[in-house]
Amino acid sequence: MNALMIKALAFAAVLIIATLVVVKQMNIDLSDPINMITMLGAVAIAVLTFGVAAKYVNQMKTDKAEGELTEENWDGIGEYKNELPSGWAYSFLGTLIWAMWYWTAGYPLNAFSQIGMWNEEVKAYNAKFEEAHKNADNTTLQQMGESVFLVQCAPCHGETGDGLSGKAQDFGTRMSKEQILYTIENGADQLGYELGAMPPMMAQGEDAKAIAEYIAGGMKGEQPAAFAACASCHGADGQGNSGMSPNLVAYDEAVVSHTLQHGKKGQIGKMPSFKTMLTPVQEKALAVYIQSLSNKE
Amino acid sequence: MFHWLEKNPFFFAVGVFVVIAFAGLIEILPNFAEASRPVVGLKPYTVLELAGKNIYKKDHCIACHSQLIRPFKAETDRYGQYSLSGEYAYDRPFLWGSKRTGPDLHRVGNYRTTDWHENHMWDPKSVVPQSIMPAYKHYFTNIADIETAYAEAVTVKKVFRTPYGDEFKPTKEAWEAHKPSVLAEAKAIVDDMKNKDVKEAVANGQIPEIVALIAYLNRLK
Repeated sequence: MNALMIKALAFAAVLIIATLVVVKQMNIDLSDPINMITMLGAVAIAVLTFGVAAKYVNQMKTDKAEGELTEENWDGIGEYKNELPSGWAYSFLGTLIWAMWYWTAGYPLNAFSQIGMWNEEVKAYNAKFEEAHKNADNTTLQQMGESVFLVQCAPCHGETGDGLSGKAQDFGTRMSKEQILYTIENGADQLGYELGAMPPMMAQGEDAKAIAEYIAGGMKGEQPAAFAACASCHGADGQGNSGMSPNLVAYDEAVVSHTLQHGKKGQIGKMPSFKTMLTPVQEKALAVYIQSLSNKE
Repeated sequence: MFHWLEKNPFFFAVGVFVVIAFAGLIEILPNFAEASRPVVGLKPYTVLELAGKNIYKKDHCIACHSQLIRPFKAETDRYGQYSLSGEYAYDRPFLWGSKRTGPDLHRVGNYRTTDWHENHMWDPKSVVPQSIMPAYKHYFTNIADIETAYAEAVTVKKVFRTPYGDEFKPTKEAWEAHKPSVLAEAKAIVDDMKNKDVKEAVANGQIPEIVALIAYLNRLK
C-alpha cells in the first residue's frame, strides 16, 4: 500500500468518524432500517469517493501504455483493444436474467399497486377496529356515533339531529302524525324487514287518525281499538317483535341499520342508502347516538 | 456496427432514441389502454346531465370541488369507493380538480338527494351552518341550455364514438324528437322538488339550470 492510498483512507476515516459523531449527537435511532441504510450509505460514499480517486490517481502515475490499438483513431488519440471487464460481463448477463423474470413474473405479479395497498390497509384496520370495539361500552359507542353522525348525517338531519325544520327526519321524536298517516295510506316496503311489505290502507279515516295520534304520542294512554291491525306485525307494544318489523316507539338498532342499508323514500323525502359506507360497529354506534338524541327531553 | 455507430454520432443518437422510446412505449401503452376503457355498465351522460355538467363547468365548481376519490382510507371512509380511471371515460373534459375548499363530489349522488341539493343551492347555510359556499339562487330562474348539450352529445358521438343511440343525429328533427325525453327526465327530478317557479317552468317546457345541475349531481355515483 502506497502513501496515496493511506492518505485516501485517512480522509475516508475522518468522514466516517464525522458521520458517527453526528449519529451520536442527534440521538438517531439506528434500529430504524431507513436510518441504518442512510448511515451505511454515507460510509459507503466516503470510502468509494476517496478509494476510487486514489486508485485512478495512482494508475495515472504508474501505468505504462501497451497493447494492441483498435483501428479507430481520433486526431491521434487511440484506444486499446481490451477485454470487457468480467464484472461488466456478469452484470450484463444478470440483467438479461432479471429482465426475463421482470417481464414474466416481476411486473405482472409483484408490481406496486396503490389499490392493493388500500385493500390491505383497510382490511387490517377493519379487523383491528372490530376487535377493539367488540364489546364497546355505551359511552364509547355514543361518542363514535356522534362523530359519524356529524360527518355523514348532519348535512341533512342537522348537527343537532332536529331535521332542519322538516327537511329531514327529526330525531327528537320517533314519528310525526303526518308521517304515520302517510305510511298508513301508502304502505311501506323499503326497509327490508323480515315480515315484508306493509300493505297500504290497513286503517282508514278516523281509525287511522286515532292510530297516528296514539303512536306519535309515544304510545301512552289508552290504546285505540284499530291498533290491533298494527299490533299483528309491530307487536302490541309497537316495538316490532324483536326486530322482525320496524319499532314504532324508539330508534332501536334494527331501525337504524335497516334504514342505513336500504335508504327510504317517505313523507319528508328520500334518504339514500349508506350501504358499504359504514361498518356494523359504526351502525350500532349511530343507533346509540340517535337514541340519545330522542331521550333528551 | 458499433464501430460504425461510434463514428456517426447522429445515427448513434437516433439509435439511442429508438431503443428508449420503444422501451417506454411497451411499458406505458398497455396500462394506459387498459385504464382508459370505460368501466362495465358506464353509460354516457344524458342530454340533461350534460347540460348540468356544462353549468358545473361554466360556474367553475371545480375551483372548490374535486371529483376524484383517492385510494386512502380517510377518503374512502368519507366519500365512498375510490375512483377508477374508467369511470371518467365519457368525461370530456374530466373534472378531477385539485382543490378541496368544499368536499369531493365524485359520488355525491350516492348520499345526497334532489331535495337536499334544492335546499343547499338556494341557501347553503340552511343545511350546513358553517358552509362558506355562496347561494346559487339564479339557478332557479336561469334556463339551462339543453340545445347546446344535445349538440355536444351528437359531436362526441361522431368524434369520439361515445355510444349514444342511433336517434342522436345533427338535425332539427332529431332534436325535436329527442326533446320530450329530456323534459320527462327533468319532470322526474322536479317531482322531488318544492320550488313552485321551477315546477311551473318545467310544466311549460323550460328547464331551469337547477334541474339540469341536480340531474348531473345525482348521476355522480
